[in-house]
Amino acid sequence: MTGRPPFWPQVVAIARRDLARERRAGEVVWITIPFGAVALLLIPLAVGTNENLLRDIGPGMFWVVVLLFGVLTAVRRTSTETPAQRDAVALLGLDPAAEFTGKVLAGGVMLLGFEVLVGAVAVALYDIDLSGWPWLLLVMPLAAAGLAELGTLSGSIAASLTAGPALIPFLVAPLAIPLLLGATQSAEAIRQGDSILSWILLMAIVALALAVAGVLTARPLQETR
Amino acid sequence: MTTRAPTRRSIHWLDVTAVLGIGTALGFALLTPAERTQGTPARMLYLHVPTIWLAYVAFVVTLVGSVAYLITRRMRWDHVAEASAELGVLFTGLAVIDGMIWAKPIWGVYWTWDARLTLTAIMFFVYVGYLALRRTIGDPEARARRAAILGIVGVLQIPIVHFSVIWWRTLHQPPTLLRPDEMQIDPPLLAALWIGVAAFTLLYVALMRHRIELARLELALHEDATAPAGPVAGDAVSAPEVTAGRSRS
Amino acid sequence: MHRVAYSLRDTGWEGRPADVHFAPVPPATPLVELHGIAARIGATTILRAVDLTIEAGQSVGLFGANGAGKTTVLRIVATLLRPSAGTGQVLGADLSGPDRYDVRRRIGLIGHLPGLYPELTLEENLAFSARVAGIDPARVTEVLHAVGLGNAAGRHAGESSHGMQRRVEFARELMLEPDLLLLDEPHTALDPAAIELVAHVVEGVRSRGGAAVVVSHDLDRVAPLVSMTAEITGGTLR
Repeated sequence: MTGRPPFWPQVVAIARRDLARERRAGEVVWITIPFGAVALLLIPLAVGTNENLLRDIGPGMFWVVVLLFGVLTAVRRTSTETPAQRDAVALLGLDPAAEFTGKVLAGGVMLLGFEVLVGAVAVALYDIDLSGWPWLLLVMPLAAAGLAELGTLSGSIAASLTAGPALIPFLVAPLAIPLLLGATQSAEAIRQGDSILSWILLMAIVALALAVAGVLTARPLQETR
Repeated sequence: MTTRAPTRRSIHWLDVTAVLGIGTALGFALLTPAERTQGTPARMLYLHVPTIWLAYVAFVVTLVGSVAYLITRRMRWDHVAEASAELGVLFTGLAVIDGMIWAKPIWGVYWTWDARLTLTAIMFFVYVGYLALRRTIGDPEARARRAAILGIVGVLQIPIVHFSVIWWRTLHQPPTLLRPDEMQIDPPLLAALWIGVAAFTLLYVALMRHRIELARLELALHEDATAPAGPVAGDAVSAPEVTAGRSRS
Repeated sequence: MHRVAYSLRDTGWEGRPADVHFAPVPPATPLVELHGIAARIGATTILRAVDLTIEAGQSVGLFGANGAGKTTVLRIVATLLRPSAGTGQVLGADLSGPDRYDVRRRIGLIGHLPGLYPELTLEENLAFSARVAGIDPARVTEVLHAVGLGNAAGRHAGESSHGMQRRVEFARELMLEPDLLLLDEPHTALDPAAIELVAHVVEGVRSRGGAAVVVSHDLDRVAPLVSMTAEITGGTLR
């Protein structure tokens, strides 16, 4: 028992744990994704079903739903971890930065799945034009990564607080605006035939800044009182 | 952890100067000639600019307090961060409201998606989230640590939010009537503006001093309640008062 | 890292735990030193001034009434809770310093409530611990057999009894080989056959130079396991 276990195997172990738990519990697949789809269904009922209007607002509404509902995946994972589980993991010699990275990896995968499935619903309901779709292969993972980082960081800050499940989305929403703007303006730029590189760069900078913040603050946040 | 005895309530020169400064700024705001293009409604400039300025100052001070706390673990820095965040909510809220009051007579609407106004609204909610987090944590050191991290992450995200909103609004070419740098600011108006900025900054410093002292007293009260001579949690537990079959009481 | 050798007798469900042989603990005396430790949670004082010294090879029985602070002492020794006042070291690491993270891998804790993930099987729970701790996951099967759960490895933790989950936690500590073992009400929910597991694990840690702390209300069961006892009362240790 000398030295600290390697970083990346710990990251993979944490990610595997979270994904396995989700696979068995199925909350994201059976609750969060359908909830997001219902939200997309409600909007035309409120604003009108004019097809041109829906085509215009469709991409924006999709990304707002991703931001507000997708972050619930982080809430769920944080709020269902018991103090005994946290203690047991802490005493395995887990590097707090590895725990953050592993949780982001799992959360990003779940959010990407959310985006793809709810996105399909949005395309169907709002008749969204998918020309220029290859850019989505960059935009969607970047949005998923940034939101996963924000959700994991907020979840750690609000861990074991009674108000945590209500507080986390409130903390995430304003700080996720650059991701929201990056994603929606990319769609707008594609529609206009403009370059989206500046928006991709913005999202990448946000994701990088949050990754650095998450790793640097992981150890102080692990302390339990 | 040792604490100073509570200070006697007294009038501090900062308080007097701040009140006089606000009075002076108000006088200049009302008596300075009206701006040529917007007229009387433009007098909101003398409130809007100082409140926006202090909203940014408060953010930076919250960041400094948060970083200093994490490095030194001295509660005084947490008091600074907390006090500045509360004043930040106040001034950011004021900036949003006076911006809305200014917009209505000029544009006929209370709200525009001007980049600066939008960013100010976002900052307001980041501050409120910070304060909401603080309210949910009872233990002072846990509260200080978590709030410091949120304070740092939140504030460091603001420049990114700022640029993204500016880019967004630039693409959509919004009206710029609310931009102070596009108005005609002759020397008398500029002087009134600077007096307002200085007066509000003095007010911020005076309020910070009082709020930090209040936070220090709150912590002292908390520590007195949990002093070593006080009761421990286990003292409240006694043997159950039951005999076989029924209770004694 | 020393390889732990197990005697893999076929224990069956009612069987006795296998013999366990641990690797020796690196010398560091004393293993635990607490001076004037105080603990407050919110506005509540739990501990006032606790002094405790545990040498290598010792095992301490910790007793006290409900709410006396036994679990709080355990969590401070486990470095999971920073004391509000006082000084101390555990396995050479300052209780309030950054190096306390580095010794956590050498501390084992079986708490009052199980820390397993209900959605995962018993085997998956242990495999996760093995991967995070940098241990070959192949050892999971060995330790599950050692605690009599070899045939229940595929059962989900959420569908397993409290006693089975507790056995899994003992299996985890067999796998992790802690230098300092902390047990909170270890006999709870264990059947008569599995109760021997507690004594085996404690004796194993002691015999190779480690130490153990056992919190319990059951003086009769714990007395044979420990070399000294202490009572928490009024926020201090006697």
